Amino acid sequence: MKVDFKELDPILHSQLRLAVMSLLISVSEAEFTFLKDKTNATSGNLSVQITKLKEAGYIEITKQFNNNYPQTICKITPKGILAFENYVKALKTYMSL
Amino acid sequence: MDSEIKMSESESMELITSMINKAKNYYGETGLFYLIWGWLILFCCLTQFVSIYFFQSAKGNYVWLLIYAVLIFQIIYIRRAKKFRRTKTYTRDINSYVWISFFICLMLIMFICISFKRYELINPLLLVLYGVPTFLSGIIIKFKPLIFGGIFCWIMALISPFVNTDYHALLIAAAVIAAWIIPGHLLRSKYKSEMAGKNNESGF
Repeated sequence: MKVDFKELDPILHSQLRLAVMSLLISVSEAEFTFLKDKTNATSGNLSVQITKLKEAGYIEITKQFNNNYPQTICKITPKGILAFENYVKALKTYMSL
Repeated sequence: MDSEIKMSESESMELITSMINKAKNYYGETGLFYLIWGWLILFCCLTQFVSIYFFQSAKGNYVWLLIYAVLIFQIIYIRRAKKFRRTKTYTRDINSYVWISFFICLMLIMFICISFKRYELINPLLLVLYGVPTFLSGIIIKFKPLIFGGIFCWIMALISPFVNTDYHALLIAAAVIAAWIIPGHLLRSKYKSEMAGKNNESGF
């Protein structure tokens, strides 16, 4: 039987970015502090990885002020959902061997 | 968590499962509206009971007009909260629709009972109705005090035909204490302790 190997998306195949995408696929939208809390990442590292996801078009970032405090809201895009689904499919292909 | 650590396929799958479970167990329920509505209904019920039982006056019923004031406050609060978005889960969205359905049914029951002049049925039917969103919310957010609160409302509804209608306001008062005030305080303290444990950083 011929198995169709799909290459794992390099944007998603990284621990913190994958964790962020897994959280965002489970909620409508999430605050930066929520992502930081759940991933136990540092603010600096999380910021860099979120920017990479945004540049790939996988997430949208909205910045606002709440009582004079900056607030960052992240939301997965349809392109991000598709990429995540394809990544999981590819993982399953590898794991079924 | 390190961003550049490359993982095996099974590690990736474990990470996805663990993050989805973490998000699934987040509800962000503040308990605020359970407390506001719980204390308001309790105050209205007791005022109505005291007015009728001790002063044989129906003027105490006007206290229920406070509901409109609180409703306006709630609409303004929700509009403001929507402006300042926070983490939103799908379970929270479903829970909101449960409470919207409850409010619509509440208005319909009041309208039908008043139209047929069956005032004695209002409180027992409200007790039945109070149990539904409370029980469902407890199931949705996996919070047992709300589940027990919903069941308690139905027990109060069950005994209401055997209790003089003058005392029905007290059944409602007992129901809101069990269904909204106690769970509301528990949710509030849980939410506050979660917030206290969070880092204060709010963005990049």
